[in-house]
Amino acid sequence: MAVDTKERPSAPQQTDASAEQEGRFQSYRIRTGMFAWMMHRLTGVGLVVYLIVHIWGLTALTDPETFNALIAKYHSPIFKVGEFALLVAVAYHAMNGLRLVLIDFLGWSPKQKKLFWTLGGVTAVIIAVGGWPSIYALGEWLLGPGSMPTLFL
Amino acid sequence: MAQTNALNWFLHRITGTFLIFMLITHFWVQHYDHQAASVTHEVVTEKNEMPDYPDEAKEGVRARLGPDAAATPYQVVMQRLADPVYAVLWKGFNILFLVVALHHGFYGLNNVMTDYIRAPMGRLIARTLSWTVALGLLIIGMYSVITAGW
Ligand code: HEM
Ligand code: HEM
Repeated sequence: MAVDTKERPSAPQQTDASAEQEGRFQSYRIRTGMFAWMMHRLTGVGLVVYLIVHIWGLTALTDPETFNALIAKYHSPIFKVGEFALLVAVAYHAMNGLRLVLIDFLGWSPKQKKLFWTLGGVTAVIIAVGGWPSIYALGEWLLGPGSMPTLFL
Repeated sequence: MAQTNALNWFLHRITGTFLIFMLITHFWVQHYDHQAASVTHEVVTEKNEMPDYPDEAKEGVRARLGPDAAATPYQVVMQRLADPVYAVLWKGFNILFLVVALHHGFYGLNNVMTDYIRAPMGRLIARTLSWTVALGLLIIGMYSVITAGW
């Protein structure tokens, strides 16, 4: 889905078949970078998969025993790692999404470089602060109780 | 592409922006709220043992459910979802979150699929299937969150 804006005008109208061939990787190719776009797509699809599993799992809410068993599993080491990975995906997708929205709605393209790095910094802070509970729990488990600083927890 | 019209494109940006606020709230509630305690306590347990919740959580559960009530994950969540007053708010929030997340996620998924599936018939099948799944999830999700604790 390519979206045309002032900053990203549509490609000149082509009617031959070669344009169709190329369409596959068209959106946001040059301006915001192929990599940022691919990661956005990857994290987006990953989040949809998580959402499906999540809603399916939450049917456990109708029964206390099942729900307790589910949440007990949430505390296994592997889930703590997954939890952190999920946060990284959400933080990246959210901040890159916000960047796209700001560029599209407010036409912030002259400030794109600055916006990119500012939001990159915000993403790092979100991951550090939001990820601390998972890292803390993993550290306490790996290195022994009391070995991790509680900080703001 | 009948589906990718300007309104949907616009809505996708709006739902995305909404999701920022809703995910922050969700994350706070599930991971940071020490007042009522969060379901995911910052502790690793093995062999599927239940986490030991902090004292505030134990007190909260006892205050609501009697002196013998144990702070299990279920009870911790029920502090919100079975509360006579706040439950309506939280159930409402969860349903709104559910609707917005599903719309954003599945609309996005359809964009991705439209990019890779070339045949019109394939696109139609993919679209029909995915929105059916979304509708199913909406019903299941609403059911679990509405009936929880009631
Ligand atoms: C946290 C706030 C979020 C924001 C600000 C946001 C923003 C965006 C934006 C602006 C797009 C359009 C990108 C484009 O047109 O190229 C997008 C695409 C997408 N989003 Fe989100 N999003 C958020 C959360 C989510 C969540 C929770 C999910 C999953 C349930 C999700 C799944 C997707 C998918 C699958 C796409 C399509 C990717 C593509 O077309 O390449 N997003 N998001
Ligand atoms: C590890 C991180 C997460 C945990 C521990 C978690 C936990 C929960 C729990 C316990 C509920 C039950 C309702 C409540 O407590 O009020 C819930 C509901 C919900 N969560 Fe999450 N969640 C997480 C991440 C996410 C993410 C990333 C998304 C978005 C893609 C999401 C979307 C939802 C939605 C839409 C609901 C409402 C479901 C319904 O109405 O049936 N959650 N979550």
